Amino acid sequence: MIKVKKMGLHTFMAVPAFLLFALFFIYPLTKGVQMSLTDWDGLSPSKFIGFQNFINFFSDDRAMSDIKTTILFAIFSAPLLNIIGLIYALLMNGEFKGKGFARGIIYLPAIISPLIMGYIWYFLLQPERGFLYHALDLFGKSSLLGNWMGQYSSAVMVLVIVNVWQYAGMTMVIYLAGLQSISEELYESARIDGAGTWQIFRYVTLPLLMPSIRINIVTNIIGSLSVFDIVMSLTGGGPGYSTETLSIYIMRMCYGSKTGYSTAVALILFVIILIPVTASMRLTKSKD
Amino acid sequence: MRTLLKTFKIFAVLIICGVCLIPFYILTVLSLNTPQRVFYQGNMFVPDFYLPNYIEAWHQSQIGTAIINSAVITVFSLLIILALGGMAGYAIARFAGRFNRMVFAVFLGCMMIPGIINTVPLYTLMRQINAINTLWGMSLVCATLALPAATFIFTGFIRSLPKEIEESAIIDGCSWFSAFWRITFPLLKPCISAVVILNGFGIWNNYAQAVFFLQDRKKQNIPQAMSVFFQQFAGAKWHLMAATAVIAVIPVVIAFLFLQKQLMKGLTAGALKG
Repeated sequence: MIKVKKMGLHTFMAVPAFLLFALFFIYPLTKGVQMSLTDWDGLSPSKFIGFQNFINFFSDDRAMSDIKTTILFAIFSAPLLNIIGLIYALLMNGEFKGKGFARGIIYLPAIISPLIMGYIWYFLLQPERGFLYHALDLFGKSSLLGNWMGQYSSAVMVLVIVNVWQYAGMTMVIYLAGLQSISEELYESARIDGAGTWQIFRYVTLPLLMPSIRINIVTNIIGSLSVFDIVMSLTGGGPGYSTETLSIYIMRMCYGSKTGYSTAVALILFVIILIPVTASMRLTKSKD
Repeated sequence: MRTLLKTFKIFAVLIICGVCLIPFYILTVLSLNTPQRVFYQGNMFVPDFYLPNYIEAWHQSQIGTAIINSAVITVFSLLIILALGGMAGYAIARFAGRFNRMVFAVFLGCMMIPGIINTVPLYTLMRQINAINTLWGMSLVCATLALPAATFIFTGFIRSLPKEIEESAIIDGCSWFSAFWRITFPLLKPCISAVVILNGFGIWNNYAQAVFFLQDRKKQNIPQAMSVFFQQFAGAKWHLMAATAVIAVIPVVIAFLFLQKQLMKGLTAGALKG
């Protein structure tokens, strides 16, 4: 064994990464905590106002509606992404012709800008002039397509479906990577012990898939609660402000010269994300 | 029973692939229709192959500039992520000092924080250092957001490599620093492709940060240019919108076709080590 010398260039190799991160992430983060306690508008000198921003947030109807939309979106989107991603992975795990090709196609939507995706679905779903309307019209069934983006509950559901459609492939790929790390011998011996398909899935596949499940749950919760792009392009937060999410609210408040207030909202969003993330990390912790 | 199940499976796969592809097909059809065309005239699924849409869209949307900007930002960010993340991963995996352990703990903790939390205070910092509407500023922002996860992947991967590979180079008179660049870094290929795939497309498509930091029309990236273009027409002129979207999507699809083989390998090597 060679002893690593105490000093030398190698001792400082983590420094550049840390410096960049400290300057562009940690420093703004601490600055943001300070700013959240002021009434700063981005230009003129700010005044310390204590927790007034937080009080204002919880007494603002628009903000409360945004919290509701954000959480509602995540409650549907995150579990659906996981379940559909897992089903896709189980389906795509076997041996069949064109497997790689099919996987590629399913992953394809995930690499396209969600903003562009939102526009594509906008072209599809617009009432009276969208593609789906005319396609249904061919069969005389155009009345099936309502003004989905014009009503709150259906608009949220459209957002969920488009998000799941786009990112199920991403979730699938991570589950596939997990499935492939499970050795064939384990299935083999379970089958010899007389386990059925469901039992094998429940007692062999699922426990060994835990690392993938964990990654997918955490990333999907974070992604869903901070959703921004597709909402901007599909509904723009409308009708009114009803489908606005917290990330969009933060951006708009910042543009509306409520800099201090928008950092306070960002901290609230942070807490909203942190709670389910730490909870699901605890729940999926491997017991070995 | 077996064959029935298999037929069902193939059927399901075909339907899923169809659902994934149809929106792209419709986008292409839209982009090839003449401006006067209404859907229900003639066959909906066969376009007019009216190519002038693309020329007009190219000129009006300034998507060419946006593609170059997105490319510059993506390449610079990835270079920063690979260089800094790789070095940090090496230091953390090989030299267990107090500082290195602290860096790892901080990165691990911050991996869970999405960029939007930080963007408003970052905006004021960027204004102070004149980094708004600059490609280098945007590259640094994107690199910073990806750095913790990348460092995490590199650390896990380097830990799984035997230390002897560097030690033999040290005996030959190499320093630990140059041993990383000469010996270890070339071995990180699967890991590098994982980091590139996981972050590259996201940076190329970044919108949540671009809204803040790239407002100048000359510095816009692709999503920002698309959204400005869309607002300009307030939802009209779909043929031009669609043509612009197709132009914007083509580079991504080409990159994807090249990287697709590495995708699974890279993800297994990188993402699941944690």
